[in-house]
Amino acid sequence: MRAKRFLRSFPMKLWIILAAIVAITFFSNDFGLVDIQKTAIILAAGIDRTADGFSLTAQIAVPKGSDRTTGGTSSVEIEGQGATVSDCISAIYAKTGWVPKLVFCDLVLLGEEAARANAFDALDFFLRNEYAPDSCLLAVCEGTAAETLKATSAIDDASSLALEKLFSDAAKKSGRVMTTTLREFAIGYYGRSASGYMPYVRMSSQSGAQGGSGGQNAAGGQGAAGGQSGQEMIFSAEQTAVFSQGRMTDVLTEAETFAFSLLKGNVYGGTLPSDGITLAVLRNDGSVSLAEEPTLQATLSVDLKVRLAGRDAPSSLENVAKDSVTEEELAAAESALRGAIGSLWERCAQSECDLFNLRRTLYRRSAAAYGTWKPLSQIGTEIRVRIEGLR
Amino acid sequence: MKLSARQICFFLAAVAPAGKLVLMPSQLVAQTANDLLLPVALQILAQSALVFAVLLLARNGRTVYGMLSDMVGGFFAKAACVLFAAFLLFAAFVPLVEQKILVQSIFYDTLPSYVAFAPFFLFAAYLCAKPLASLGRVWDMLAPLFLVGILGVLLLSVGNADFGALLPVGAAGAGGFGRGVAYTAGWFFDAALLLPLVGKFPYRKGLAWKGALCYLGGGILLLFFLAVYYGIFAEIAVTQLFAFAHMSKYFSGITAMGRIDYLFIFAIAFVMAFYTAMPVQAAVDALTDAFGHRRVLAPTLSTAFNAALLALMLAFNFVPSATVSAITQRAFWIFPVFAAGAPLLLLALSPVLNKRRERHAR
Repeated sequence: MRAKRFLRSFPMKLWIILAAIVAITFFSNDFGLVDIQKTAIILAAGIDRTADGFSLTAQIAVPKGSDRTTGGTSSVEIEGQGATVSDCISAIYAKTGWVPKLVFCDLVLLGEEAARANAFDALDFFLRNEYAPDSCLLAVCEGTAAETLKATSAIDDASSLALEKLFSDAAKKSGRVMTTTLREFAIGYYGRSASGYMPYVRMSSQSGAQGGSGGQNAAGGQGAAGGQSGQEMIFSAEQTAVFSQGRMTDVLTEAETFAFSLLKGNVYGGTLPSDGITLAVLRNDGSVSLAEEPTLQATLSVDLKVRLAGRDAPSSLENVAKDSVTEEELAAAESALRGAIGSLWERCAQSECDLFNLRRTLYRRSAAAYGTWKPLSQIGTEIRVRIEGLR
Repeated sequence: MKLSARQICFFLAAVAPAGKLVLMPSQLVAQTANDLLLPVALQILAQSALVFAVLLLARNGRTVYGMLSDMVGGFFAKAACVLFAAFLLFAAFVPLVEQKILVQSIFYDTLPSYVAFAPFFLFAAYLCAKPLASLGRVWDMLAPLFLVGILGVLLLSVGNADFGALLPVGAAGAGGFGRGVAYTAGWFFDAALLLPLVGKFPYRKGLAWKGALCYLGGGILLLFFLAVYYGIFAEIAVTQLFAFAHMSKYFSGITAMGRIDYLFIFAIAFVMAFYTAMPVQAAVDALTDAFGHRRVLAPTLSTAFNAALLALMLAFNFVPSATVSAITQRAFWIFPVFAAGAPLLLLALSPVLNKRRERHAR
């Protein structure tokens, strides 16, 4: 009797088990096995303008052998050219037979010319492609992106990994670098302010550097690594490229970049150099507001709590123990910072780059307020800087 | 097998919102930009009222077919059920397209074969052969799963949302608001999904209110989701087709821990799979109520409907955007006709039915 009942319900049980297996495999993407030998995991993409369109340099991760003495990621750089960035990707596929996988692409580097033409000509592909993460970092580099990606880094196996170290959260908190992602840049570009920024990467040779850092950067595809073949390079991103209507219009200096960081309230633990002293920022309140009456006036405020991080001359032990900063020293620091903020505003006004999204602020306020918008150069400014030491 | 009032409430509060997270937000933003909350709020209020009406219908313990056959006779009642089942199959198409492109885009990292979605129909064929009332136990499990999933996603996302992006209110104007309401009608037909369940759960005092409030509760969660979604993506929200699967990846801890948010995304996607199959299951139920022979008819209809839908999915594989637009933007009026018209008409005619029954009783 029991057996009969079991047999009667058996097909349905089998069906349930089958459905469960199918559901589990369906949800876990087990139908989409990835053949690593046929897949190119792109770590970073560098985009340059050419006469006929674009040149895309993909830095592709290459699995290392099982040698336990080496670690990290080695990479090859492959170039593809075409009328659009998508064509470049197809060209890489055609050249190598590797299916380009963009899901791990954490950095898109634009060559200077591509950034000056219109960054979104190049970035359009990444915004459309659902397999490319819009959380990837963006940066502009001096010269061409191909040269930068092909350069041998002194601090990491792959140049893109060295660059990403520069854009870490810790680096951002230092105030020395202003990072942005594709999502943030796209929101700025398509938003009312039509403005944005990216870190500006420069590289310089590491004089006297010997050997690699554990791996090697094998330049592939188009031959030797950039113009600095064999030489180890150090990257810096302390300058910031500013964009208006998608075009790179100017590059902020290091001091202006730091001032921008402070206005955004990003800095924690970063250092502010002043006249003979260096101050460490313990608290950073920054804001940019816009008043409509009587005329449009922007107020740029920075309020800092600092402590002394170092002096350029020997101090008494009592002074070291007290860790105090004089009022004169704080006033000098305030003045220097006020100058950097003023210079930052001037630079943005000249290139009509609404870096602080003031136009968007007005739009969000009301249609009537939005109607009062005028060019940045005609907007009045008030700069408020207050730096307090520890008591 | 009977549903309990609790299970109905679970469905309304924590399963029904799952069907509105894939394409609806971006389709809505295309019409309303930052004013996306107002049309959805109106839809939620209207559906809550309709849920109230449908649950009131359940007071007399009769199925919809039973009520119709008492009012207009067996032939017309059967015809009405066939028409209603046709509507449910029509309404099933958008959730299926959503599921397909969601799976292809989110669970794969390069373009998969377009038949990769086909196994879903095996699962759907099994589910749809079961009576709707069997979903009660499923909803008991799905509701907490959905709540964990959506709250997890929202918790990881809310810190990155700039709610100022929702300003200024009213920027889309009356036209944008109207289009927003009309073009989201294709996602709000939950009251119609409840109709085949009428008569299959015991009505307890206050269930109509509780059901409407549960739907409202789920709706508020949906509104908060939409606010966070627009706060994160702002002007590019229109490009974000699968926002719920992307919103949480900007959480700063993700870089250190990896995509832990996928746990929540999988939980939501799992609930969605059941919700996607539900209109077809409701269609099978409506027809088996009308024509009887459940043991033979339900598996036959389930297999036939799912095979037909699979064929249609493959036929329309390369026109997903046009398909969704055709259903939600050109044929949007069909949804309120059935989702609002059917329950209201039945509710309006129920006094006639009651009088007839009283007369028969005498």
